[in-house]
Amino acid sequence: MRKTLSYLGERALLVLVSVIVLFPIVWMFLTAFKQSRDAYSVSLNFKPTLQNFVTVFSDPWNLGSMVLNSVIVATVTVAIAVPCATLAAYSFSRFRVKARKFLFFLILSTQFIPAVVIVLPFFLMFRQLDMLDTRLALIIVNLAIVTPFVIWMIKGFIDAIPTDSEEAAMIDGASRLRVIKDIVLPVAAPGIMTSSIFCFILTWNEFLFALILSRRDAVTLPVGLVSFRTEQGDLWELMSAAGVMITVPIFIMALFIQKHFTRGMTAGAVK
Amino acid sequence: MQDRLLPYWLLIPAFVIVLATTIYPLAYSFFTSFRAWDLTQSRRPEGFVGLENYVYAASEEQFLNSLWVTFIFVITSVFLTVVLAMALALLLRRKGPMHTFTRIVLILPFAMSPALIGVSYRFMFNPEFGVLAKGLGAVFPALEGVPWLADPQLAMGILVLTDVWHWTPYMTFMCLGGLASIPRETEEAARIDGASNLRIVFGIILPQMKGVIAVMAVLKTIFALKMFDQVVTLTGGGPGTSTETLAYFIFNVGFRWFDMGYASALAWILTAIMMVISIWYVRMLLSEKKMATA
Repeated sequence: MRKTLSYLGERALLVLVSVIVLFPIVWMFLTAFKQSRDAYSVSLNFKPTLQNFVTVFSDPWNLGSMVLNSVIVATVTVAIAVPCATLAAYSFSRFRVKARKFLFFLILSTQFIPAVVIVLPFFLMFRQLDMLDTRLALIIVNLAIVTPFVIWMIKGFIDAIPTDSEEAAMIDGASRLRVIKDIVLPVAAPGIMTSSIFCFILTWNEFLFALILSRRDAVTLPVGLVSFRTEQGDLWELMSAAGVMITVPIFIMALFIQKHFTRGMTAGAVK
Repeated sequence: MQDRLLPYWLLIPAFVIVLATTIYPLAYSFFTSFRAWDLTQSRRPEGFVGLENYVYAASEEQFLNSLWVTFIFVITSVFLTVVLAMALALLLRRKGPMHTFTRIVLILPFAMSPALIGVSYRFMFNPEFGVLAKGLGAVFPALEGVPWLADPQLAMGILVLTDVWHWTPYMTFMCLGGLASIPRETEEAARIDGASNLRIVFGIILPQMKGVIAVMAVLKTIFALKMFDQVVTLTGGGPGTSTETLAYFIFNVGFRWFDMGYASALAWILTAIMMVISIWYVRMLLSEKKMATA
């Protein structure tokens, strides 16, 4: 009897947790499909419409260009950070480099520098170079956040690969670079993929840099949200539609790497 | 010969990025912090003013307020996140369809943009049509018509809530990792001896999780010190300056008032606080590893 009660209690708690986690997300999705007059009531009895999505993608909101900016900034950041980080992670993992501990500590500790400290000099520099409000500026600054994090994550994955086959290949006369390309990369691919997705999510959701460094042309999705705050008040149904556009790609990616997620999270624990 | 230098060649691209994007700005703002520089007046730094920016901070009320706000925010959000994550991990330890479902659901808050979290909580707590404001008012009549985000204490509470909602899942996964690595024998033996669940949790499991809990607490402290996005999208630092955290205050000084010298000094104060905690944290991680390999 007590057993069943505690069993039921556990289920009930789990349901409660799921509700607390899902509710804000579900509510945003519902609001995105409401007409504006329904958005301002809590009633669930409404006729769904796609109008909000049409509106946000047309003038003056032009969410399309923000989607494009977000995709370009996140993709290019990943494309630069992940290969560089993979090479560095391999080096940290396999060689006894001089001052290795110090270098690794240096990389790790840069993770703790507050973003607002980094953005200030960059703002001044980009202003001087006339690079404010460009995607390139956002990519450069995002690399600061993402690179150390990816090095740490990928190192964790490479550390877990046994070195036997690498050594065997080297005895057969293969060069290190060949070993990396033909032996390490294929085995480490799932880990590198997971790290890339993590890195994409971080850049995609990044807000502070984009808020400060972009104005009109390079605005990304999270900053775009703020523009739905108008003098006529907050346009919640449009904000929700934009919110759906921000979350859907990321949720799909997060669920895609679901199995590795816990590990990636703990590996990135130093972020 | 070539092979001896290879390890360094491999490190170079990543190090160039890290040096250029973090060490350089850090040094730059360090030097700027000793200068007067009003960006609306001058394109270049003006005079060298020594420690004046730091001295000014020590007596400025708005800065001291932001330190206090940050302190309150960090303490409450770290405490709640760590306790809830631990409880949730204990709940999720067993296997079952509902457990698996909850674990998958838990991935979502962490993947969600913090700026968007701020926006959606602002919507839900709108006193006129927010679903949570209305719902709470309907269930507890005393809460009917409460101006959630217009009240300093409640606004801070909701700010903490968004942060706890965002981070508890991540921390839960860390706890689950920790729980999986502690041996089950003592626990099973205690269960056979008829020890209660509470005794097992507090007497056996938690003492073994001390290391993991400490790591989580420090880590969460660092994240909480950095928190910025929700302040902008949820409260805008208000009402008044009641939710103006240090990161948000620095943003205002730098990018609303364009006082670059003072903003740099404030940024360095925040960096110094983070550095102390970080060094402590990395040390802890290294000694954990030593323990694990021993």
